[in-house]
Amino acid sequence: MAIDQGNQQDTHLYIEGAEGLRSEEMVLNMGPQHPSTHGVLRLVLTLDGETVVHCTPVIGYLHRGIEKILENRPYMGGIRYMDNSDYLSPMLNETAYVGAVEQLMGLEPPRRAQYIRLMTNEMQRIASHMVAIGTYLLDLGAMTPILYCFRDREGILDLFEALGGSRFNVNYMRIGGVLHDFPPGWLHRLEQWCRTFDQSLKELEDLVTGNEIFEARTQGVGYIDPQQAIAYGLTGPNLRGSGINFDLRVDRPYMAYREVSVNPAVRQEGDAFARFRVRLDECYESLRLIRVAMDTLPGGPISTRTPIALRPPRGETYFAVESSKGEQGIYLISDGSEYPYRAKIRGPSFVNLQILPELLRGHKMGDVVAILGSIDLVLGEVDR
Amino acid sequence: MLSDFWLEVIHFFITLIFALIFIPIIPLLGVYLDRKVLGLMQDRLGPTYTGPWGLLQTVVDMIKLLSKEDIRASATDNIIFSLAPVMFLAPIITSFVVLPFSPYMTVNALATGIIYLVALSSLDVIGVFMAGWGSNNKYALMGGLRSAAQMISYELPLVLSLIGVIMLTSVLGKGGVGSIALSDIINVQLHPWWLWLILIQPLGFLIYYTCGLAETNRAPFDLPEAESELVAGYLTEYSGLRWAMFFLGEYTNMVIVSAIATSLFLGGWSGPGADQGFWVGHLGGLLGGIIFNLFAVFWFQAKLWTLIFVFVWIRATLPRLRADQLMRYAWLILMPITLVNILITGFVLLIVPDLMGETMIVAQVPVNVWIAGAVNWVMFFTYILLFDRITGVSVKGKMPRWAKRQATTRKQAQPTPQPAPQPTALAQAQK
Repeated sequence: MAIDQGNQQDTHLYIEGAEGLRSEEMVLNMGPQHPSTHGVLRLVLTLDGETVVHCTPVIGYLHRGIEKILENRPYMGGIRYMDNSDYLSPMLNETAYVGAVEQLMGLEPPRRAQYIRLMTNEMQRIASHMVAIGTYLLDLGAMTPILYCFRDREGILDLFEALGGSRFNVNYMRIGGVLHDFPPGWLHRLEQWCRTFDQSLKELEDLVTGNEIFEARTQGVGYIDPQQAIAYGLTGPNLRGSGINFDLRVDRPYMAYREVSVNPAVRQEGDAFARFRVRLDECYESLRLIRVAMDTLPGGPISTRTPIALRPPRGETYFAVESSKGEQGIYLISDGSEYPYRAKIRGPSFVNLQILPELLRGHKMGDVVAILGSIDLVLGEVDR
Repeated sequence: MLSDFWLEVIHFFITLIFALIFIPIIPLLGVYLDRKVLGLMQDRLGPTYTGPWGLLQTVVDMIKLLSKEDIRASATDNIIFSLAPVMFLAPIITSFVVLPFSPYMTVNALATGIIYLVALSSLDVIGVFMAGWGSNNKYALMGGLRSAAQMISYELPLVLSLIGVIMLTSVLGKGGVGSIALSDIINVQLHPWWLWLILIQPLGFLIYYTCGLAETNRAPFDLPEAESELVAGYLTEYSGLRWAMFFLGEYTNMVIVSAIATSLFLGGWSGPGADQGFWVGHLGGLLGGIIFNLFAVFWFQAKLWTLIFVFVWIRATLPRLRADQLMRYAWLILMPITLVNILITGFVLLIVPDLMGETMIVAQVPVNVWIAGAVNWVMFFTYILLFDRITGVSVKGKMPRWAKRQATTRKQAQPTPQPAPQPTALAQAQK
């Protein structure tokens, strides 16, 4: 056995040398039901011994026809379908959709609404990253951090429930603003949660940082070249983990991000560990942004009144937000009626998934789980 | 009263019944401890529903497993498939013969104590092999082979780490004769009462415990049992009671590993109150003996279950090692350290009396033992803190410095993740 990690050149040397042995490649199906493929992703792996030679992701197991449904709902009715796209960050998806319609109509939501959107978006980003971090560590065998992550996530979800009535799919964003203002005492609870989350982040860091086993499983694994990252259209932590400082909140600022500055987390190493650290660092940054927004929250109305059966002018527009997975965009084509003509969802996980066969090639079986978790896919976004 | 022969018979039966009752209780307590402690460490409660504080959880689990259908794949090798759980469990149960629960309650204090136990733990591997092969499932076979390789690789450092302790018995024991019987090793740790061998061989204890984790397939070495890894392991095709036997065997194996650790490193059944002379002197032969044995059994169990708590604690904390990292750890890191431990300990124990001309005794303990202990503590901290940096070997897969020179002639250097250049013109143009 070669002393190095999965190095494809080394493996081929070994196979070529043993002329008398006939070795076949084995096709292994990592089926749609599997504890580690996050969602119903099917990976058809071609293995040469323990090394992955080729990988075909088969998707579509969660296709629900969201884009088609959106064409048959008025704009306000369609907002809730965006929740199902990336079911781990509904607020961010809704912001994308609502922002696209507002951009088409030339409508600027009031400043208070923009700040509320920023706060809920950042809270949603933390919640999504907690799932990503927790499940990644669970896949690698550490069964405790996921419970700590989900405990903090419960704080956020309770706040969402108080705000919008539902923990997950909070149908909270409206075209022109948000649904309603904070209930009394909500900001105080948010402040308390921020303080407990500070402690929890310290606990998480204690468990994870410097853990040799974790570093051994993730460092040097799943390296994404920066050129490759741009060529494949990766966005989000996958891109920033390879050293490219591109964050939509900074480079194409929208809504309240034009006034609040963001320091994106960037790592140079490009491996799974770097992407994990970027997600963890983004949690710190989001916590800071929530506190900034709480301090500088402007008063005023929370929504401009728009008719329920909204008819934006004819035209097409593209609007993207920086979701927890990457660039979540909506390409909206309106024909002047109250239903969109076409609402195409640019799901970041769908684009990020393309790099998986490239990444898995040459790695051992044990690394498949580590690499898959580091890309942080949500199948709801991939399949829609 | 009764003649010696009948006293021996009674002794034998009492001890046998104790051991036989203890063996089924182990999984009951072990599984419950596992789930409850894991739950409490994960900020949740664990079993609470079945019985007070969830104490009957394992009983309920066993009833469930007993009532399951015995699913058998059609083309399994029947004899091997059926015998594998037996081959796995039998050596483990047989190991209970030598465990010294108290000086009276050892079923048969064999003179070959340690070797007997180590030999039986090697037989476990056969059970794992048979399980993997008999399942007629290529993934189970791969998992079984991997698990067997893991168990075999970690047996070597396990056994060798005990040699440091055995060397000490020849220095500390009566008449300068060493012994591998567990009762003798515990006797060595009685005079003075604080001389637990962990104080003199902390590195040996650490290595032994780590190898014990690997032998019992516990985290962080639980690759064969991992649900989230692809290859499901040698347990795939087993259902119901057959699976329960592997499951019980794992917890019983944990107890055996911990029992050996307490006997050799933590002083066995000794502890405050387990003083035979005191109780027999005060309360007479029979009652004093009974009270003494109760104390001894209590202390043995206390230390045993503390070590099992640490097993569970480690499982809650650490992620899993990958298969090749596991093997690398055993062969490149643990083996050299264990051999160095034996070398240095033996050297110190032998050379110091020669240098000093006589055996000085400081605080009832010979000086060479003190020096060996100090050297071992230094090695302990060196291993934990500095081993990576000195030798360049780690589980991470980077080649040690002394091997790198050969590698560069063999092939091109492995592409290390380069620090990314500044955002290129392509990215700049997008902005």
